Formats: sequence, C-alpha cells, structure tokens
Amino acid sequence: MSARLSNLFAALVFLSMIAALGAVFLYVPTERTMGLVQRIFYFHVPAAISAFLAFFIVFVASIQYLRTQEMKWDRLALSAAELGVLFGLIVLITGPIWARPIWGVYWRWEPRLTSMLILFSMYVAYLMVRSYGTSSARTPRLASVLGILAFVNVPLVYYSVNLWAAEQQLHPQKIALEPPMKYTLYICYAAFLLFFLFLLQRRLELEKTADALTDLQQQLSDD
Amino acid sequence: MSFFSRTLAILRKDLLAEWRTKERLSPMVFFVLLTLLVFNFSFELGGAALHEIGPGVLWSAFVFASLLGLNRSFVDERENGCLDGLLLAPGDRSAVYMGKMLGNLLFLLAVELISLPFFTLFFNLSPGPFLLPLLGLFLLGSASLASVGTLFAAMSSNMRLRELLLPLLLLPMVMPALISCVEATALVLKGDELARIAPYLQILTVFVVVFTTLSLLLFEHVIEE
Repeated sequence: MSARLSNLFAALVFLSMIAALGAVFLYVPTERTMGLVQRIFYFHVPAAISAFLAFFIVFVASIQYLRTQEMKWDRLALSAAELGVLFGLIVLITGPIWARPIWGVYWRWEPRLTSMLILFSMYVAYLMVRSYGTSSARTPRLASVLGILAFVNVPLVYYSVNLWAAEQQLHPQKIALEPPMKYTLYICYAAFLLFFLFLLQRRLELEKTADALTDLQQQLSDD
Repeated sequence: MSFFSRTLAILRKDLLAEWRTKERLSPMVFFVLLTLLVFNFSFELGGAALHEIGPGVLWSAFVFASLLGLNRSFVDERENGCLDGLLLAPGDRSAVYMGKMLGNLLFLLAVELISLPFFTLFFNLSPGPFLLPLLGLFLLGSASLASVGTLFAAMSSNMRLRELLLPLLLLPMVMPALISCVEATALVLKGDELARIAPYLQILTVFVVVFTTLSLLLFEHVIEE
C-alpha cells in the first residue's frame, strides 16, 4: 500500500473511532438496569469479534504458508496473532470492569470467560514460540503447525468448558437490542474492524521492511 | 516396510530402551507420588473436600508427569544423533510420530496404573466398582496427552528453551481433555450412571482422533531440518 493510501486509511480509522465514541457516549441511551457501565459493551463485543477474526486469519495464513512456503503468509500469521492477543486482552480487561458492578465480582469461572482465557493463553504460547523458540529458518514452519492446531482446538475448548460450567453461564445467549443500541453496536463493529485492518496493514508493512533489512544485511555480509 | 510395521519397529525400540534403562518410568512414578504429597499439604486433604478435589489432584499429577516423559522422548534421540537415522529411513515419516505416540501412551498408562493404588490409599477410596470405567478414562486421557504431546515434544526438541516451552504449549492445548478427564473421573468416583459421563467421553474421543490425525499430517513439517 502506498504511503498516501495508508494515510487516507489512517484518517478513515480516526473518523470511524470518533463516530464510535460519539455514538457510545452521546447518542445511545443508558441501559435501564445496568446503567452507565453497560456502555463498555460496545467495546467489549467488537473487540471479541476482532480477536476471533485474528485467530481465523492465523489459521488460514498458517495453512497457506505450509502449502506455498511463501514468507508473506508467515508475516500475515504473525501479525494477526499479535493482534488477536491484543484484542483478546482488551476483551479480558473490559470484561471484569463490566462484571464487577453487575455480577458483583471481577472474575467468575464462567464458560465464555474461561474459554477466552484458554484461547488467549494458546496464542500467547504461539507468540512465545515465535520469539524465543527457534532459529529464524525453522520458526515459520513450527509456528504454522501451532496456528493450525490452536484454531482447530477452539470448538473443543468451547464445548468442553460449556459442559463443565453450564450452570455458571452468565453471558446472555441471545440479546434483543433497542434500535439505537443496535446502530451503535454496528458503528462500533465497523470502527473496530477498520482499526484492526489498519493495525494489521501497518504491522505487515513493518514486518516486510524488517525482512528486507535482514536480506540486505545478509547480502552485505556475503560480499 | 509398511507404515504399520515401521510404527511397530519404533515402538519396540522405545520400549526396549526404556526396559533396559528405566530412565523415564521410575522418575515419572516418583514425581506423581511427590505431586500427590505436595497437594496433600497445600489443601490439607481429608474429610469432605476429598471427593471434590481428588480427581483434579490426580489428573494434575498425571499431566505434570507426562511433561517429564514427553520432554525425553525426542531429546534422547537428538543427543545421540539417532533422530537423523530415523529420518533417513525410507518411507513416510509419520510412522515415527505414530511409534513415538504409542510409546508415550504406554509409558503414561503404566505410570497411571502404578500410581492408582497409592492414590486410592492416600485418599481412602475403596477401589472396585469404579475400576473399569476409570481404566477407560485413563486410556482416553493418556491418548489425548500423548497425541498433541508427542507432536509438541518433537517441536520443542528443536527449540532453544525446550523444557520451558513444552508446558507452555501443551497445557492450554490439552485443557478440553483435562476438563473432561477431571469431570468424568469425579462422576465415576461418585458412582453416577454412564449417561452423564458420555459427553465427556465424546470430547475425549474427538480430541484424540482430531489431534492424532492432524499430527500425522503435520509431523513432517515439525521434524524437517
């Protein structure tokens, strides 16, 4: 992506975030029973969706890397995994802030919380393997295998945790939202998605530059 | 040689090496006993809480012990340059995985069977009615640990901080299997009917099938130099 296009993208992300903040703090009415703290919902849920999107991208990019051995797929998997952990962290931080006044505690071993924590730790392990594990030549291959296994595990984690703590379930399974709340949520989805794509694009660019630099250094030391 | 006979050859080699050295089995069993001891002091076991946390204590001990065994399963090969020989052997490399996986499964089962009497002794349980379902659970649980565990062991034997990274990789990954094992063991010890245990057995079966298949497919990428 050219610098100009990238700046335009940044401006778009900025505007969409302003719109999201405006919608959350000025436009949408306060929820009747939960009060002000419910507004964290508009960040909590889009962050969770972005995290899952990121984990899915890691999965697809890992398969593609093993098939083609092209570095661009490895860079995509790495960038997406970092963002998945970042957005997962946002979910895990905003959750307890919301839970404290509503459930009375910061943390409950409740199915969705538990599953998110397990998934989060799988991808933290993925990043640890990438950074301390191996010599650079082997890293992409090992990481790809891990990226595939971790994603395949997602439904198993969900199913087992739900069975384990079924009576602890505190997250609503279905929510009916008033129209203003629905629109606000959509705006936040869009803003978070754009923000995610923007970070992904920047991170990819950075990784590409780093790879190019390594290649140059290699060439210089060979000469 | 067929896939099957190559798998058996590797399994036989691992069992023979273990039979002669006993380098893995005895430390693992001792480790399980020590873990039971540590948990005993951290929780002040005895009384009503026993049935609640007993299964968790047992499976935690097994998982930690499995890490010890798994760490050795590829490191030994690497130290003696044996792995290169195995990889040079003609044919599909996934047979190496299968042989190693079955070996790890058998070691783990042996450790569990040896430590079960101590567990029932320390926890004042009367073995008998729950013995058979418990053995089935041991089999499925160990197969779950061995399936991903063997792949991760091959992976981490390639890494700089191998002893450190294996638990970080394995523990979050086996969480669905661990939850199922602990819950099902608790139900078995309580003497519940099979209908309530069935969903956990399903998860374990799916876990073993899915991750063994994936490991067979991906092993090539993990072991390649």
